[in-house]
Amino acid sequence: MYGSLDISVSGMTAQRTRLEAIAANIANADAIVDPAGDPNPFRRRMVHLAPGDPTSNTLAGRAGGVHVADIELDDAPFRRVYDPTNQFAFPEGHPEAGYVLYPNIDPMIEQVNALEAARAYEANIAAAEATKTMLGQALRILG
Amino acid sequence: MFIRELATADALPSLEATVRFASQRQQILAHNISNIDTPDFVQKDVAPGEFQEFLSAAVDRRRERWGGHRGEMEWRQTRAIRSDDHGGFRLEPVEARQGLMFHDRNNRDVERLMQDMVENVAQHRVATELLRSRYSLLGTAIAGRI
Repeated sequence: MYGSLDISVSGMTAQRTRLEAIAANIANADAIVDPAGDPNPFRRRMVHLAPGDPTSNTLAGRAGGVHVADIELDDAPFRRVYDPTNQFAFPEGHPEAGYVLYPNIDPMIEQVNALEAARAYEANIAAAEATKTMLGQALRILG
Repeated sequence: MFIRELATADALPSLEATVRFASQRQQILAHNISNIDTPDFVQKDVAPGEFQEFLSAAVDRRRERWGGHRGEMEWRQTRAIRSDDHGGFRLEPVEARQGLMFHDRNNRDVERLMQDMVENVAQHRVATELLRSRYSLLGTAIAGRI
């Protein structure tokens, strides 16, 4: 039964990681420079999930559950916004002169992904609550 | 031997098997729920109907062998329920090809999963409550007074 709890907790952890990546994407939706101050727009982070959880304490938890396999950078092209007054706009003579590169993040997509991650988190909580109920019932056999 | 007879009398083995089935199935359902967003993941399950057939076949065999409602259960494996080395059984879930296939090639059906979980918890509760009352009856009988 503890394997079931491990599995549900791995699901919650994975969805929370997903939500953190989504929050980072939304927060950086307009970040056109990197921490060093160079013009390097923030690339969207994508979280990839895979079955199994190598960090689990139980054998069942390692075989079951889910874990974050990879956090990949989205290689979709950056958004182009025409703003010749911006210091980071492409200079005259450049094929895209006057354009500024913005992160490839669509807040609408991130909002929907966040909703889905939150619902999946709730579903895992429901599964954990059901397991806890069954544990309590099993203990009551003793009287 | 007397204790062994007590522990395998009447419905006790069936109820213990039901509790064990519900516990193992809870693990399978938790695994399905934790992977509702995993690409290429196919939901797997063991149908409760298959367990009912597995159990009733074992009860019939016990009745034929021991001529009543006593004796050890003899499990005979089915497609998704296998015997283990300790005289018990373990579940090996099979792919449940129900529900829509989404773009990430995951055939999740959250509503069905939740329903399965509620029914599984209810089955576990019924079996544990009946087990508790049986053990309590045994205790009363052993004590020799009400």
